[in-house]
Order: sequence, then C-alpha cells, then structure tokens
Amino acid sequence: MISAALDFICREAALHLRRERLIAIATISTVAVLLLVLGAVVVLLIDVRLWTDQMSRALEVSAYFQRDFPRERAEKVAAQIAEWPAVSETEFVPKEEGWEWLKGQLASSAHLKGLENPLPDRVRVHADNPSDVPQIAKQLEELEGVKDVVPSATEAGRRGSFAQRVVQARKAVAYAGVAAGILVALAGIFIVHNTIRLALHSRWREIYIMQLIGATRFIIAAPFLLEGTIQGTLGAALACCILVPVHMYLRGLTARSAPFVFLAPDSAMLPFALLLLLTGALLGLTGSAVSIRRYMSRRPQWHG
Amino acid sequence: MPASVEIKDVTVIYPNGATALSDVNLVVDKGEFMFLVGPTGHGKSTLLKLLYRDEVPAKGQVLVSGWDVAKLAPSHIARLRRRVGVVFQDFRLLPRTVWENVAFALHATGFPYRHVRRRVPQALADVGLLDKADDYPSQLSAGEQQSLAIARVLALQPPLLLADEPTGNLDPDSTTHVMDLLAKANEEGATMIVATHDPSIVNTMRRRVVAMRSGKIVSDTPEGGYPGDLGSA
Repeated sequence: MISAALDFICREAALHLRRERLIAIATISTVAVLLLVLGAVVVLLIDVRLWTDQMSRALEVSAYFQRDFPRERAEKVAAQIAEWPAVSETEFVPKEEGWEWLKGQLASSAHLKGLENPLPDRVRVHADNPSDVPQIAKQLEELEGVKDVVPSATEAGRRGSFAQRVVQARKAVAYAGVAAGILVALAGIFIVHNTIRLALHSRWREIYIMQLIGATRFIIAAPFLLEGTIQGTLGAALACCILVPVHMYLRGLTARSAPFVFLAPDSAMLPFALLLLLTGALLGLTGSAVSIRRYMSRRPQWHG
Repeated sequence: MPASVEIKDVTVIYPNGATALSDVNLVVDKGEFMFLVGPTGHGKSTLLKLLYRDEVPAKGQVLVSGWDVAKLAPSHIARLRRRVGVVFQDFRLLPRTVWENVAFALHATGFPYRHVRRRVPQALADVGLLDKADDYPSQLSAGEQQSLAIARVLALQPPLLLADEPTGNLDPDSTTHVMDLLAKANEEGATMIVATHDPSIVNTMRRRVVAMRSGKIVSDTPEGGYPGDLGSA
C-alpha cells in the first residue's frame, strides 16, 4: 500500500513535470536567480567574516607607562590587564627591549648611539574581538601609571586598525544579508506558490476525480509537494553551479594578486552548496504547501 | 458487501437561501436498484450529493452503511467515498487514455500495481472497451465515454453506486447499453440509485421508483413506472 502510494506520487509528479515543462523551467530558473542573489550575499558574509577574523588576530593596542612609574608596579598592572575577559593576550615590553627593537627598525640607527633611551615601559594588549578594542583602550587610559594608549606601531597594529573598519562594514553587510535573505525567501515562496497554483488549475480534473473516488488528502497533495521540492532543489543546484566555480576562481585570483584578502577555502563550498540545496528544497516545499492547502480547502467542482 | 442508505427528516438549504430538500425520508436496502425521478432542479442531484458528502444537510441525518455522513471527520470522508461510486451525465473523464482513466482511479486509492494490471482490463472488458484501451476519451462516442466512466467506478468495486442522469447525453442504443451495465453491477451486488428524468428507461426496467418534486418525495412505488403527473424535464 505504501509503496503503491509512493509509486503513484512519483509517477504523477514526473508526468506533470514533463507535461508542463515550460512552467517548470520558468520556476526553476527564477528560483535559481533568487538563490544566486542569496547565495552571493551569504558567500560575501562568509568571506568578510573570515577576513576580519584573520585580521582581528593581529589586532593590538599598546599602553605606555609614565617614565617614572616603577617597573614592578607596571608588571603588576600588565598582569591585571591579562585577566580582563576581552583580552586574549598581553606582553610586557621593558623600555630597554623597546629601545633595542626601535634601533633595529631604523635604517640610520647609528645616529641614536650615545642617546639616552627615551622610551617608557609598555604593555602590548591583544583583543579577542576587534569590536572590544575601543573599550579596552578606554580602560587602559584609566589605569594607574598609564600615560598613553595607542595602536601598535607594528604592521600587525596597522592591519588591526584597518580591521576595525572592516568589522564595521561586516555588520552592515550582515544586516543587508539578512534583509536580502528574508526578501529572497518570501519571493521564492511566492513564485513557487504561483507556479504550483497554475499547475493546480491545469490539473483540476485529476484533483476532482481523486477527491470524488476517496483518495486521501496526502495522496492528492504529495505529487504537488514533490514537484515544488524538485523545482526548488533544481533551481538551487543551478545557482550552485554558477556560484561555486566563480568563488573558486576569485579565490585563486586574490591568492595571487591580493594575498591580504582571505576568501573562504574551496572545502567550505561543499557545506555551503548543501545548505543552498536545502534552502531551495524548503522554498519549493513551502510554496507548494501553501498553494495546495488553499486549493484543497475549497469545495471540489467539475468546471467542464 | 452492499451498502444500505437511510435518510431521516433531511432538509438542505443552499447558501442563497433556496431550500433544495425539505424533510426527506428514504430507506434503500442493501443490493436494491432504485430510480430517483422528477423534473430537473427538484432535488434529485442534491439527494445524491448527500450520499457522497458533497452536500451536508441543514437538518436531519444521512446514514450510508450505518455511517452518519454529515458527522464524518475530514479523514473519514475519503473512506466513505471509496464505498460510493458516482457516474455523471457529463462523464467527467481525464484527458488520458482509456486505460489510464481506469488505472488512475485505482492508483490514487492505493491499489498495488499487480491489482491494477488485473482490474483495468477486467473492467474495460466488462464495458466492451478493452480494444480501445489506448484511445483518448475525445476519440470515443458519448456512449463509450459513459461506459468508460462506469468502468472506472466498477474497477473500484464500490458497494453503493450512484448515477446522476447517466443517459442524459446518450442516444437510445447507448442508453440501453449503459443501463444494462448498471443493472449488471446491481446483480453482482452493488446497491444502485439512478437519478433520471427519462421515462423510457424507468418504464422499461420496472424497478422501485421514488419521485421527487420541489425537494420533497411525492411517491415511492416498487416496480413502478414513471409517474405520469411529473413530466419529463
């Protein structure tokens, strides 16, 4: 009984996908375009997140102590900072070490010979999350003995301040992504719903006969649900066929020409593609469920 | 197992306020063949619709094989309809082949393939359409289309068979053929109710005749003819 029902459902769905192939092609391609937009936004979000995560690892600020602040107390303050929840790592840099580093950085360090070390002790502070940096900097300024708080002079520090701006952009992209996702989902459901509605109207005879002879609601609805799901999945597959190769190409391109830009690795594309397929299937299923539910709530009528 | 029908004090009022049936009482025994006669628009079709739950009474009770039709849960309506076969004046066929029309009904009600392969040719042979199994309804005569509609119902073997003006679109030869098919189904055990305003078939077959006028039953005669005072349309 169950296998007979499944067989009937699959045959009916296949028959109508074949017979009404123009409608099916229109739905599949529209869903593909929608999911292409949604997928592109999701990939962009993944890439931006990955990029900012990479940068945030390099994010650091330095707190400079007053020159006359005792070394022991400065080390204690540095130890305290390391306990802060938003701080991932601290490094106490004695003024002697800082002076040596500075001399090593300058091309004409010979001019510095004989000069007294002008640097104070400092502590380098790394944040867990780039968005916590302003708060950390503010807290550092309020600490006893701290004279200045500045982003690190290192390359890592410069990248960190850039990351700060990227993180702000990430939020905007995330909001835009969620908005686009909601719009695309609604549009997808609406499109599949309308297509299945067309299919329902073109197959009112079959539905009427099924209702008349006592087919269950499940048997009547299932071929339509299957059709919607297949159309949604095929649309998503089409979107994947465009998005994944394009992303792989862009990744190769940036790896060669812009190594500081981190894009999601190709291995991340598989779960992404599966997620997109699932989204397409759900869009199709929901759209067709809405249509069939509305249609079957009406009284069966033979119009001919 | 044939089905019995019992209609008790039934009144049907349409949404526009028109009373389609008024205090109707009727009992049809298992295996009985009954004509429901009367002019068009006087309640015959409405009475049949009650039996396959296409209408519900505003008042009264409709029992089919003991089931209170009006009180059936939606999930049980399908079960009722599997026990009630309906044949219409306009055939109501699918734009599929003769074979597929019968097979579709069997598949949709969950029959396994081996049953479908056995029942379809049997039902088509019973109505004389086996040699036209690959034709489409549009290629058949009106009589053949009605025979196909009957084959579709017979393949499902319902214990109660309703026919609403089954010969309304047919010539005399086809009418005789279709009525023979219905009589044969009745002989094989199905309870049969045929709504018609065609006096010739009623007078020829001489079965129980229930006459309706203005939504009421006005006469009920065993082995009667078409009441002369009703008119035929």
